[in-house]
Amino acid sequence: MKLKKVAATLLASAMILSMAACGTNTGSGSGSGSGSSSTDLTKEKITLNMWCIATESDSNRHSYEEAIKEMKAEYPDITLNWEAFENQSYKTKIKAAVAADELPDIFFTWSCAFLGDFVKADKVYCLDDAYQAYKSELPEVMLGNSTYDGKHYGVPLTMNIVGLFANMDLLKQAGYNEIPGSYTEFIACCDALKAKGIIPFGCAGSETWCVTEYLESVIEKSVGADALNDIFLGRATWNNSEVGAAVDTFQKMVNDGYFDPNGISLKNDEVKANFMAGKYAFYMNGTWNCADFANDANFFPKVKVAEFPVINADKAKLGQLIGGPSDTLAVAKSSKNAAAAAKYTFELGKKICHYGYLDGCGLPAWNPYGDTSSVNGLTQEVSKICAAADSYVLFGDTAMNADEANIYLDYVAQVYGCQIDGAGFIKGLSKDIR
Amino acid sequence: MRDKAYRNITIFFFLLPALMLFVGVLIYPILMSGYYSLFDMRSIRLNGTEAFGLGNYKELLLGIGTEAKKVGFLTLNLPTFGSINFWKALGNSLLLAALSVFLQLPLALGLALMLGKGIKGERTFLSIYFMPVLISTVVIGQLWRKIYNPDYGILNAVLELLGKEDAAHTVMPQGGWLGNVKSAIWCVFIPTLWQYVGYHMLLMYAGVRSVSPELREAAKLDGATDAQVDWYVVIPCIKNILRVSVIFAVTGSLKSFDLIYVLTEGGPYHATEVPSTLMISMLFLRNRYGMGSTIAVLLILLCFAFALIISAAFKEREYYGRKKHV
Amino acid sequence: MAGKNTFDYGMDQYQVGKTNKFVKVLFYIGLVIWAVIDLFPIYWMFTFSLKNNEEVYGANVMGLPKSWLWSNYAKAMTTGNMPLYFMNSIIVTVTAILISLIAALMATYAITRIVWKASNLMNSFFMLGITIPIHASVVPIFITLSRMKMLNSYWSLIIPYSAFSLSMAILICTGFMNDIPKDLDEAAKIDGCGLWQTFGWIIVPLMKPALATISIYTFLQCWNELMFANVFISDKKFKTLPVGIQALAGQHTIEWGPIGAALVIATFPTLFAYIFMSKSIQESFIAGAVKG
Repeated sequence: MKLKKVAATLLASAMILSMAACGTNTGSGSGSGSGSSSTDLTKEKITLNMWCIATESDSNRHSYEEAIKEMKAEYPDITLNWEAFENQSYKTKIKAAVAADELPDIFFTWSCAFLGDFVKADKVYCLDDAYQAYKSELPEVMLGNSTYDGKHYGVPLTMNIVGLFANMDLLKQAGYNEIPGSYTEFIACCDALKAKGIIPFGCAGSETWCVTEYLESVIEKSVGADALNDIFLGRATWNNSEVGAAVDTFQKMVNDGYFDPNGISLKNDEVKANFMAGKYAFYMNGTWNCADFANDANFFPKVKVAEFPVINADKAKLGQLIGGPSDTLAVAKSSKNAAAAAKYTFELGKKICHYGYLDGCGLPAWNPYGDTSSVNGLTQEVSKICAAADSYVLFGDTAMNADEANIYLDYVAQVYGCQIDGAGFIKGLSKDIR
Repeated sequence: MRDKAYRNITIFFFLLPALMLFVGVLIYPILMSGYYSLFDMRSIRLNGTEAFGLGNYKELLLGIGTEAKKVGFLTLNLPTFGSINFWKALGNSLLLAALSVFLQLPLALGLALMLGKGIKGERTFLSIYFMPVLISTVVIGQLWRKIYNPDYGILNAVLELLGKEDAAHTVMPQGGWLGNVKSAIWCVFIPTLWQYVGYHMLLMYAGVRSVSPELREAAKLDGATDAQVDWYVVIPCIKNILRVSVIFAVTGSLKSFDLIYVLTEGGPYHATEVPSTLMISMLFLRNRYGMGSTIAVLLILLCFAFALIISAAFKEREYYGRKKHV
Repeated sequence: MAGKNTFDYGMDQYQVGKTNKFVKVLFYIGLVIWAVIDLFPIYWMFTFSLKNNEEVYGANVMGLPKSWLWSNYAKAMTTGNMPLYFMNSIIVTVTAILISLIAALMATYAITRIVWKASNLMNSFFMLGITIPIHASVVPIFITLSRMKMLNSYWSLIIPYSAFSLSMAILICTGFMNDIPKDLDEAAKIDGCGLWQTFGWIIVPLMKPALATISIYTFLQCWNELMFANVFISDKKFKTLPVGIQALAGQHTIEWGPIGAALVIATFPTLFAYIFMSKSIQESFIAGAVKG
């Protein structure tokens, strides 16, 4: 499960391909003759079950609904029963289901190690055959995170990076018209905000993944993308004093009062609402938030997105981002109609990706089609950042297997709560993760 | 002879539904947990994993290594536990148990004794006190999350009403009520206290009411004060109920899960971790089925042990020779 | 304290001596304070279920809502599916109560009324269940249920719930059944009743008070359960209230109104039922504890 570099040109090529991709559906893709004759989805009536996390309040909900509506019209013989679960309880549920061989035909998963655990347990249907028909629409690099031993197991939906969102109204009050580009300026800006009585950062401590959005950016911009990637993927140990120093840099920001002290007991939704209500100047989180920001007519004019500034220019540079295609659909090996489900999943994934991109839920992993001019400005800004990207490091908790990821999150939480310092962080992790 | 066979068959049929449920849903899973606890099972596959012996127990109870630490002026080689600190979780649930026994039960007993004096409106009080018992734990957890909310919670508002100005900054610990390592465990205990005082109060009230008035009158005639009557006559009489209450409070604390899961999920930084939350995070977050099963086994053993200890402790000083049903 | 109804001693004859007036006032103050502490969170939950975020977030934290926002309830009913979850909870709880009642009555009869060697041992065996934490067996039960293709059905909750209520039910039953005179069995035997007839015609009708007590204990256990309900049920059709509330709260973290409405919907029907039956509920509850 090597993490491949995502082609920086993906969006440029996407624009050109956008019209061409539209008309294709599996009906014409008969070249993909896997053993199951040429049934191509529509011969007999089948029912497929799907689990996902696009609950009513999730920003992806709309894209799922639209995509499923379209699929229903195109494939009247396939009935899709889908259930959406709340993010945290879904992780419990899907693992229990894998353990008991109770997976639905199609399921949402995070790529890399999360899906990797299931693949290792031999519960996931290999998508190599079905992929043949979609090669032109879905660049193979985007499958990198769901490829194990050279075989593809997942259909990526959208890809996202960590963005530094800023409330420009508040920045103006502190005398800044742009998001500062260098780290010293950035810190000066935070001090200026503090002097004005504005809290610079909001971060939800009760959901540790939100802390990693900050911490991983700080570490990456201190030690460089390659070093961090090596650690996440187990090619290097955590015992790296530069990482320790970067953690101390982050903790200094906490100790200097840049973070909302109440953030520790808040949930991400609450922090996000505070940010949109003008309580924080900055909010670092996934770029899927663009959709929600764009939907708030009051707030949208105020918000800008940028890349986190470089802390140590000797090791890191701009264009090193945290993120990649993580949201993935996979097919269960136990499915009775696995072959049909695989094709259906590719079609569905393509459409979810399409609508998700239009809504601003992230950048498309598939080549976009149709008219994409309605994509909101913030998402377009993100795509510019990605177009100039040099390398990506996937979110740490996705890159590591479940056990290690949770140990890692545990230590991240302790750093945020100032229970341990950088030295304690690297020492603890190198001891606990073996 | 035929009669006896018929009787045995009848006994068997009478026991059959209960035995099927009990063995199938309680005993068999415990045995399976015991079996699983001997395997590593870090992957999701529940079969074909290599034997691990007592490795899980060792890691859980003895830690992952030792480290020199200063204790007073001694330097000792103490075990380190990394990210799985079972002893801390156990300590937390024992703390909860102690708080229940020494705060919740006395409060319940006090209320029961007061009500037992035949105060006007005792029925109404009784009904009100029992209300929280009927509310679902998830509802209570969500409600108290809102009460503790650092920005808009009612707790800060009430404190301000009581005269603490700007309670969110002066009284509330840093990080919020549920976000502070020191305050979190107390904030988890308070809803438990709130919910179950009524439960224990009702049990004890029943006991208080069943003490015969003649006994009290006799004590009164001997010149005992109200407090003395309560202490020397009523409390010894309801010892059986106190025993039940203590067992419920202690095993309840060891078993506690729902409320903590809803309120803090064991955080911040494991400050409110109890064995059940640790077990769930092993099973469903970290995919360590073997370790999760190990905690399950230990938890069951602990609950048994405490129930036995408490029963023994009460039995020793039982000189009233009440009729016992169990 | 066997047999006697706890409330046999009437209130008037129970007044013990004359308590100091000052002490009495202190008692009242203490009792009223605790009553307020008990009721205030419930009152607050009700008020914020009818408010918009502006009022909750500071404009009107504790008062009654300025305009009563019943739309919060509509939201909890439609997006939160509360009525469906409520029905599911009732179906699961009632069936579990019935099953554990029947199983407990039969088992207790065999243990206490029929003379056989291992009856005491059998009783102790069932009593093991009282201290077992329900969560400890979630994975093995999950696997068993899945092998039997029983996940995602009411039965996947009903069976574990009735099993986990069984020990308490047997404990309470034993207390009540011991109070039924053994002569009745003898008389029935002379009249030619077999064990089954004695059980059905003599014992069960006399166990009515026990039934109420067991029902309440089982209700409290099943109505609240979160862990099993979350893991065993993935189909919306079968979800129970605790899972529904947890999901709704996870989805609407920042909108307090609909969450409040869901909490009220989950709570108030039980509370109303309780207020109407509080006397009998309290008595059954006490009876159970005293028998135990």
